[in-house]
Amino acid sequence: MTTAAATSRDAQADPSAGAPGAPATAGRRITGVLLHDRAAVLSAGFIALMVLMALCAPLISALTGHGPTAFDTSAINVDNGGLPKGSLGGISAEHLLGVEPLNGRDLLARVAYGARVSFLIAAAATVLTTLLGVVFGMLAGFYGGWVDQIVSRVMDFLMAFPALIFMIAILSSLPAGNRSLLLVVVISGFGWPYLARVVRGQTLTLVNRDFVEAARASGASTRALVFKEILPNLRSSLIVMTTLAVPGYIGTEAGLSFLGVGVSPPTPSWGQMISSSVSWYAVDPMYFAVPGVLLFLTVLSLTVLGDRVRAATDAGEAA
Amino acid sequence: MRRTTAVTGVTALGMLMLAACNGGPGATNKAGGGPGQAAASGGTVHVLATADFSHLDPGLGWDGGVNNFYRLIYRGLTTFGAGAGAKGTKVVPDLATDLGTPSDDAKTWTYHLKDGEKFENGAPIDSAAVKFGIERAWDPEMGGSPYPRLLIDAPADYKGPYQSGDLKSIETPDAKTVVFHLKKSFPDFASALTMPNFTPFPKGTGAGHAFDTKPIASGPYKVASYVHGASLKLVRNPEWDKSTDDIRAAKPDGFQWTFGLDGATIDERMLAGQGTDADAITGTIQAATVSRIQTPQLKARTLTGLTGCTTYLSMNTTRKNLDNVKVRQAIEYAVNKDTTVAALGGSQLAAKATAIQPPTMLGRKDYDPYPYSLDKARQLLAEAGLSSGFSLTLDARPVAAQTAVAVAVQESLKPLGIKVKINNIDTSTFYEVIATPAKQHDMALTGWCPDWASGATFLPPLFDGRNITSTANNNLAQLNNAGVNQQIDRIAGMKDVAAANTAYGDLDQQIMAQAPIVPLDYDKVVTVTGSNIAGAYLSNSYSGGIDLVSVGLKDAGK
Repeated sequence: MTTAAATSRDAQADPSAGAPGAPATAGRRITGVLLHDRAAVLSAGFIALMVLMALCAPLISALTGHGPTAFDTSAINVDNGGLPKGSLGGISAEHLLGVEPLNGRDLLARVAYGARVSFLIAAAATVLTTLLGVVFGMLAGFYGGWVDQIVSRVMDFLMAFPALIFMIAILSSLPAGNRSLLLVVVISGFGWPYLARVVRGQTLTLVNRDFVEAARASGASTRALVFKEILPNLRSSLIVMTTLAVPGYIGTEAGLSFLGVGVSPPTPSWGQMISSSVSWYAVDPMYFAVPGVLLFLTVLSLTVLGDRVRAATDAGEAA
Repeated sequence: MRRTTAVTGVTALGMLMLAACNGGPGATNKAGGGPGQAAASGGTVHVLATADFSHLDPGLGWDGGVNNFYRLIYRGLTTFGAGAGAKGTKVVPDLATDLGTPSDDAKTWTYHLKDGEKFENGAPIDSAAVKFGIERAWDPEMGGSPYPRLLIDAPADYKGPYQSGDLKSIETPDAKTVVFHLKKSFPDFASALTMPNFTPFPKGTGAGHAFDTKPIASGPYKVASYVHGASLKLVRNPEWDKSTDDIRAAKPDGFQWTFGLDGATIDERMLAGQGTDADAITGTIQAATVSRIQTPQLKARTLTGLTGCTTYLSMNTTRKNLDNVKVRQAIEYAVNKDTTVAALGGSQLAAKATAIQPPTMLGRKDYDPYPYSLDKARQLLAEAGLSSGFSLTLDARPVAAQTAVAVAVQESLKPLGIKVKINNIDTSTFYEVIATPAKQHDMALTGWCPDWASGATFLPPLFDGRNITSTANNNLAQLNNAGVNQQIDRIAGMKDVAAANTAYGDLDQQIMAQAPIVPLDYDKVVTVTGSNIAGAYLSNSYSGGIDLVSVGLKDAGK
């Protein structure tokens, strides 16, 4: 370990030699550590399963014969308040995870399609947040002065803002258009300063480090400085921050959908399903349990995995 | 002529508050034992509600829930009967001695007041008070039902008693006699007088919105305290003389409303029935609670019936594709009402609609013009040359029950290749938007409750082609059919009210041949009463609310 870290640092100090080899070594090391961590493996496995379910949602629908919006009034008891027929929320060979009360829509199809919405929004928001965070954080840290002043004040402003209230206000006042896109933009709009602050701080220290000074003295362009000297050194922080951000965004998306400002029906999403299941908790607990447990396990898995990645990275840097 | 609040769903106030009714299918009112038994005198009836009344001033408020409440504190010349089923839609004299004497081809109506009728301040309810109360309807700050302005002959520049003074067309030859001069012959004037903005008030009172906070009562109760949005307490009005009033039993000593409760909380409290909740009544339960009230104990204190409102899908006949009657008929055949009924909470909370008018209407005809058939729908679309489908926009409210129905409609039309885009409009501006032809889209999900059980308050407002206005338009389908218009005029000219109502039943069928709307369901009420509640039945005139003038406690000493 020590050797690997040392090599990597040397490599970074000298941009002309060995740089491409270093990250592979670090990446292999982290992967190796994670593979020996049972919690990390289990979490990764569950996430892989969920992603697979999301990707295969149309296939699941085709196999079971139930689309995510198809009604099935034969699966509910219309004379008894529209409760699913059978025990455990209508779980049967026909509907593997049961059905929704009032309309008999297949829960398996809905959670699978709901996972697509949740993951897509969380992934897109993470990408956009990272992009904004890195660009603005590095601008502020690299140039300093008035650029730093402006970016930092904007970040302070956004971080001090009651983000959730503002998100609800924005999303409910905007016209219905493309809800998923709106969610991504709004979530990222309020999310990037948290990453940008870390990036700015690290960039501030990095620009004054010897290897950067050396590169600058040897006539490297600003572009080369940014992309070859500073950015590679931010990699581990970025990996940790983004892995930990994904579950947060899944939760935010679910929360906003729960509050009725997320994706609009009939598009399923987990938060929306949990929201509509609340009034049924006493008579049809499975309706609440299915999306609730999936959301809980997904967020838990992503958090555990993010945490283990950070631990592995920190261990590497400390050594 | 009012929009249904029922469709805003099981949780909407007006309805929730006092929604229920009887006499329709599934009425479970039993004499003795249950909430239907005779009430004892005394005690306080508690009412649990999600939201406050729209207005305490009868010149402003006008929906099934608040009209029911007004009867406790106000009296009019006429009112609806107190009783289940058809009794509740029968118009009877209240302050007046009879239903009025028409003359001059039913253009002039004369009413005489009973003796001994007083306001809560002790002032007599005389002809001047009746005249003044009705004149308030012309005040620019008033809202309420359109009937005073629609029927009574008034100068175009008349702006109510506060600004313009006396209205010449309401005469008061003596303290006990009122004579109305109408714009045109109106044989059913006694029914119109049941509307809340015909309530008498002492001359000169109630300027601005004074009655919204401190009403002057003429009925058996008066307002003791009122905290807007939180609580309302009624106590006995000592000036009310029982001998002048055949309608109001007024058994309890008071009423206590609690507003602003969550729908689910109300259901839990009603099921548990602890403490004063045993003396409580409320509106319709949530769909999720239906399965929990199937035990004999809870069934015994449940009232069910129709609200008298129809939830429907309007089709804008001026839009591309929908201007073809075959396309509209195809949609009529294709909408699967099983799914819309299920979306509203199943057969206990909604009944499949076929005709436009619900079964509570007098003279209604029962028929099913478009039984569900995808084959017929496809065939009609093919005849219209649209077998490959097209797109439509459906205006709806982002309220759970509304969205559920909208999605059910969307799903129903999918097999025809008709792609429905749901356009959510905020609840507060929904009616304003869809009532503006320039802003409404292809279809809208809405409903209608009649003012009294006659087709006159259901079909002409919704389907008279000459009533299409650029704002506040109720003819959402924008149907302008010469045959329908002629028939509306012909029925309006009929002197026999019962014959007119039967003719409206036939008109209903004539309109449905044009397929301007898809009647989706007749809203039902399922309400759980407290175990100590007696004298409760659902009134067909108040959107199926528990008739407040008759409800009381079994044991007032508890």
